Amino acid sequence: MSEVQRRKYSQEEKNGIFDGEFMPHIDSMYNFAYRLTFDEDDAKDLVQDTYLKAYRFINSFEKGTNAKAWLFRILKNSFINEYRRKSKQPAKVDYQEVETYYNSDDVDYQSTSDMRADSVKDMLGDEISNALNSLAVDFRTVIILCDLEGFTYEEMSKILDIPIGTVRSRLHRARNLLKEKLQGYAKNMGYNTDEEE
Amino acid sequence: MDMNEESSEARKLKCGDTSKCFELLESILDGEVDNSKDMLKEKLAKCQPCFEHFHLEQAIRDVLKNKCTKQAVPNELADSIRRQIQEIK
Repeated sequence: MSEVQRRKYSQEEKNGIFDGEFMPHIDSMYNFAYRLTFDEDDAKDLVQDTYLKAYRFINSFEKGTNAKAWLFRILKNSFINEYRRKSKQPAKVDYQEVETYYNSDDVDYQSTSDMRADSVKDMLGDEISNALNSLAVDFRTVIILCDLEGFTYEEMSKILDIPIGTVRSRLHRARNLLKEKLQGYAKNMGYNTDEEE
Repeated sequence: MDMNEESSEARKLKCGDTSKCFELLESILDGEVDNSKDMLKEKLAKCQPCFEHFHLEQAIRDVLKNKCTKQAVPNELADSIRRQIQEIK
């Protein structure tokens, strides 16, 4: 995922890279964009902008390397720099603060340890999706990248510009928050979540 | 990775370090720990909170993968991108 070394591709090579390496990821890109923006038109614009930028900077992409991670990084940066700013979302939350707040694993364990794997398995797609969507964007993002898109910690570290240790701890906290949400749904569904089987 | 057959008789009911253990279990589930099979088997056989956490985490990953349906990509999006690329070529 080198972005420093620039190459000089011919027009034919550029077309080959764009069609063969970039376009196959459009489904994942749109899904990621939609889960960031929650709006079909914004997601379309974000994906479109990302592909235009990718084409414009194609000489900084090394043919045959990890195109999906490269594209996701551009999309994530576009979202942060442009869409998040122009959208009517509340001012950016200080996620360092959020992460510190949720740093107590004892509390996390206490609040989620009574949820059963079986109650999660029976949940509907909408409930899972709503729980995921309700997380703050930085926590939502790591779960999407890891669990929906299958990126490794190292790839996520490059996409998000954060150290691998931060990827690991942010994922851990994101999952604890997700479990709290799912536990709420499980209780609403009438599952007995706090007694031994 | 099916660890359901493990007997719960020998498992301790309190984990000595949930913070460390749970992060490790999550890293194992994410495929980030090499040669983790034996270590995982031993851990799950000996510690009830770790056993439960592992299976809960596994179930959550499965539902995320299987039930968080992909958003349908608008038909015209790929064409629109190609059209705009043609314009800047």
